[in-house]
Amino acid sequence: MDRRPDSTEIDEADPAEADEESATGAAREPDRKPVSERDAITVDEEKDDARKIVTGQARYTADYRDRFPDLAHGRVVRSDIAHGYVESVDTSAAEVMDGVDAVITPFDDVVPDKLYSSSGQSYPEPSPWDLKVLREHVRFVGDPVAAVAADDAETADRAARKVEVKYRELDAVFDPEEAFDEDAPQLFEADDVENKQSGADYSRNLESHFEGELGDVDAEFEQASDDEERHVIQTEWETPYQSHCVPEPHTTIAYTDEDDRHTFITATQVPFHTRRQIAHLFDVPIRDVRVKKPRIGAGFGSKQEMAIEPITFALHLAADRPVKLEMSRQEEFTALRFRHPMRMQMQTVVTDDGDIEAMDLYTLSNSGAYGTHGMTVANNVGTKPLPLYPRVPNVRFSGDVVHTNLPMGAAMRGYGAPQGHFAVEAHMDEVARRLDLDPIEFRLQNAVREGDLDRSVAILKDGDRFTRTIRSCGIRECVERGKEAIGYDDPEQPDKDHRKRGVGMALIAQGSGVAGKELGAAQVQMNEDGSFHLQVGGVDTGTGADTMFSQIAAEVLGCTPEDIVVIAADTDLTPFDYGAYASSTTYISGRAVKKAAEDAKERLLEWGSKLLDEPPEALDTGDGDVYSERTGNCVSLEEIGYEATYGDDKREHILGDGNHSTDESPPPYGAQFVDVTVDTETGEYELNKLVFAADCGVAINPALVEGQIEGGEHMSLEYATSGDLTFDEDGNPEVLGFRQYGMPRTTDHPEMETILVETHEPTGPFGAKSIAELPTNGVPPALSNAIRDAVGVRLTELPFTAEDLKTALDEQSADEG
Amino acid sequence: MEIELEINGVEQTVEASKSDSLLDVLRRNGYTGAKRGCDTGACGFCTVHVDGEPVKSCVKPVTKARDASVETIEGLGTQNDLHPVQQAFVDNTALQCGFCIPGMIMRSTALLVENPDPSEQEVREALSDNLCRCTGYKKIVEAVLDAAERMDSGTAVAADGGQTVDSDGGAATVTECSRTDCGCMEGDQ
Repeated sequence: MDRRPDSTEIDEADPAEADEESATGAAREPDRKPVSERDAITVDEEKDDARKIVTGQARYTADYRDRFPDLAHGRVVRSDIAHGYVESVDTSAAEVMDGVDAVITPFDDVVPDKLYSSSGQSYPEPSPWDLKVLREHVRFVGDPVAAVAADDAETADRAARKVEVKYRELDAVFDPEEAFDEDAPQLFEADDVENKQSGADYSRNLESHFEGELGDVDAEFEQASDDEERHVIQTEWETPYQSHCVPEPHTTIAYTDEDDRHTFITATQVPFHTRRQIAHLFDVPIRDVRVKKPRIGAGFGSKQEMAIEPITFALHLAADRPVKLEMSRQEEFTALRFRHPMRMQMQTVVTDDGDIEAMDLYTLSNSGAYGTHGMTVANNVGTKPLPLYPRVPNVRFSGDVVHTNLPMGAAMRGYGAPQGHFAVEAHMDEVARRLDLDPIEFRLQNAVREGDLDRSVAILKDGDRFTRTIRSCGIRECVERGKEAIGYDDPEQPDKDHRKRGVGMALIAQGSGVAGKELGAAQVQMNEDGSFHLQVGGVDTGTGADTMFSQIAAEVLGCTPEDIVVIAADTDLTPFDYGAYASSTTYISGRAVKKAAEDAKERLLEWGSKLLDEPPEALDTGDGDVYSERTGNCVSLEEIGYEATYGDDKREHILGDGNHSTDESPPPYGAQFVDVTVDTETGEYELNKLVFAADCGVAINPALVEGQIEGGEHMSLEYATSGDLTFDEDGNPEVLGFRQYGMPRTTDHPEMETILVETHEPTGPFGAKSIAELPTNGVPPALSNAIRDAVGVRLTELPFTAEDLKTALDEQSADEG
Repeated sequence: MEIELEINGVEQTVEASKSDSLLDVLRRNGYTGAKRGCDTGACGFCTVHVDGEPVKSCVKPVTKARDASVETIEGLGTQNDLHPVQQAFVDNTALQCGFCIPGMIMRSTALLVENPDPSEQEVREALSDNLCRCTGYKKIVEAVLDAAERMDSGTAVAADGGQTVDSDGGAATVTECSRTDCGCMEGDQ
C-alpha cells in the first residue's frame, strides 16, 4: 500500500466546522478522519485485478469460450435501408449450409413480439418501450432483422450474408428540425410505443417534450430589454454523435443449465436490470434467469443497455445449445449506441456588476431511431450544469427529443452533461468577455457555495423533494489550484506574430447517482482466519470499483483490503444493485458496503467483548484485531473467527448486511483548464496543456481517481477536437471503424496535470462523492474559451476543425476591415 | 489444414482454416490474452511478437506465421513473477478495464528491446497505434518510462510478486533477469 504523500496537506477535521454543519442540518460525521488516521482509504491500493490483466489472465466474456465445447457463434443480419418494412426474409440458402444451427427472423415464435426498452434503468424504465428484438419495421441502417447461429464464426458470417431480405422502402428523415414538420416521414404510429414519456407526440416524431421554471424568466427578460444596466445575451451551440469506442465490443454468452435456468455471461453494466428485462421479455420467471458479469472491457454507458442479450437468447433457444454473440467493431460504430447529437440555445440576463438574474436553456436532442435514454439524457443537459449557479433567481430549462432515421443515442459517460456544459460554460465565458468582466471572477461571483440551496437540479420535478443543500463544495480551490498549474495569469506569447496563445476554463458539476432512483446492497461474511467475503451487487466496469469496495470494508473491519474477497455483480450470488451508471458506484454501492461492514463489525465487537471481558463500547477494530482503547488488550480477528465458528459455548457465522438508497445526489465539482496556441494563418490549433482539478469529496483510491480524470478528459478532448459520425444522404454510415473515427492516440494528447482537492461529503462513504463522469464535461467549453482568449473568435460547433477556425478568423478580419 | 509454429517457446501443430488470422488460432488454442478489438489492425489490442517483431495478429494470416516464433502475453511473466514492464504497469496504475493492456505491454516490450532508453516522445510514437479508451494514456506512458528505468538500472522486481521495489531505494537487490525471452536486456549489462 502506498500512502499518498500529497494527501497530508489535506486539513484535519475541524470540530468547529463539523459543529457548524450539524447546525445546518447535516448529520454529524463519525467517519470523518484526518488522513493520518486512515488505514485503507486515501491509499493507492493495487487494483485487485491488475496482475490478471497484465498477464492476460483476466477473463472477459469471449474468453469463456473454452468452457463450452459445443458453443455456437451468432451473427446479426442488419437493415441496409434507413426506413421501411421487411416484406419477406428468405432464410433457405443459409439454413441448408453445413454447420448452421439456427436462423431466426421477426416471424419466428422463439423471437418475442413484445415492445421493450433496452435502457438499463429502474422499473418501469423512464424510456419508451419502442423496440422489438428483431424488427419488421426498420428505422435506421443497422436495425437487426434476422440472426444466425453456426458452429464457428466464419460459417455464421457466410450464412448471414445468404439471408435475403426484401424491403418496402419508406421516406426517411435525418435532420431533427425537419423531423418536427407535419409533412415529415413518421417513424412511429401511436400503438408502436408503450410506456410513453412526458410530452410525447409521435405524429411529430417527438419522443418527449419537457420544461421547468424557477421564478419568472419571461418577466426578467422583458424588464432587462429596457434596462441599460442589464444585458441580454443569447448564444447557440451544436454537438455531434460520439462513439463510446468501448474497448471490448458488446459480447454475450447465453446457455441453459441442467436445472433449466437461463444463464448469461455478458459484458454489462446492469446485471440486475438485464435479468428483469430478459424475464419480462421472454416471459420466464426472474428466479430462472442468472446474469453474471465477468471482467468487462469498459462500458462508458454503452453497456447500460440490454443491447444484444435478447438476440443471443433467442438464438440459444432456437439452436438449443450455448450461443456466443460478439459485436464487430463496425457494428459498434454503426448499429449500437452513441452520445446524442444536440442543438442548444442559452440566454441570460446579467447586470453590469456581473450578477446573473436569469438563465434560459433549451435543447433539441436527436434521439435517432429509438428512445432509449432519450428523455433522461436530455434532462441532464440542464440539471447537471445549471446547478453550478444555484442562486440565480429566474431559471428556465426546456427541451425536445426527436426521432430521426439515424442510429440511436443512449447513455454515454456524462449523460447529457457534456452537451450542457458546452452550452452553459462557453456561454458564461462569452458573457464575461462581452461585458468586459474577468471570466473566472464573473463565474465565481455567481457560482455554487457550501450551504447553498440548489433548486435547479430539481427544475423538472414537481415539489421540493429533490431540492438539495450543498454540503461539500471545493470549486473555489479547484479554480485556484488549476489557475496556478496552467499559468493562467501569465501565459507567454509565441515569438511569431501569427501564433497566438490563450487559456480557457470551464467549471464542472455532475451528480453521485440518480437521486431517489438507486439501490445498492451488500453482505459481509467472515471466514475463520479473520478474512471476509464481501458480496456486492455493484458493478466494476474496469474502474477499480471492486478494489474501492475492499478498501471501504477494510477501513471499517480493521483488516487489510487483501483480507477481503470481493464477489460482485452476479445475480445468483450477490445482493441487488441498480448497476454502474450515473456515477453511483462509490456513493451508493460503496455506502451499502460500508453499512454491511459496520453491521459485521458490531458482531466482531460483541465477540471481542466476550473474549476480552470488556464492554463492546470500549472496543474498536484495527490492524487485524479487536482492541480495547482503555486497557490496550486485543484479540485478533483470526482468533475471533475460529472461536465464533468452532467455540464450545456458542457459535455464530459473523455476517453483516447493508442496504443503501437515498434522495441525495451530491455533486462533485471540477475546473477544466486548457492552454492552446492558434495559428492565425491556417486556423490550426495545438493544445499545450490540460489541467483538471477535481473535488470528489474524499478519494478512496487517489490513483484510480486520477485514472478516471485522465480517461474522462481523453473522451472530452475527442469530443472537442476530433470525434464525429457522418452519414450520406441515404442515412448510410460513413464511419465504419477506428480508421475513420478521430479517437485520440498517444501522440494526440497534450501534457495533462491532475489535481485532487479534498472536501468531505457527509452523506458519502467516508466523505466520498463521485468522479467517473465529472471529467468528461470540460474540454469543449474550456477549449472554446481558450480559443476566444487567444484570437477573439468563438467556436460553437463540435468538433472544432482548423477549417471552422480559419473561417471564423476570416469573418473577424472582414468585420474589422 | 495443420500449421506448425512456436508459441512462447513451445513447438506446436495447430488446426487452422485458410482464412484464419493468427489471432483466431491463438484464441482458439487458449491464448486469450490477445484481444479482438476491431479485426482490421486498427486498435492494437491483439498485438503479439512474431519473430521478435510486434504484429497485429488479427490481420496476420496464420498461413504467414507458419514456422514462426510467436510470443504472447502469456509467455511474459506470471502473476507472482511479473516481467518489469508488467510490474511497471501494475505499480503505475496504468490500467483500468485492461482490454488494451496485453497488446500495449507487448508493444512496449518490443520498443524497449529496440530502444532501452526511450524519450517520452519516442514512447508516445511507438504506442501510437495502440488505442486505450480508459486512461488518457498518461499513466501508460509513465509506466513504460518507469519500466525502461528499472530495466536500465537493473533493479529487480520482487520475486514474491508482493511489494513494489523502490527503483532508487537502497533496499532493492540487483539480480540478473533469468528469462531468456523477456527482452529486458539485463543480460547485456
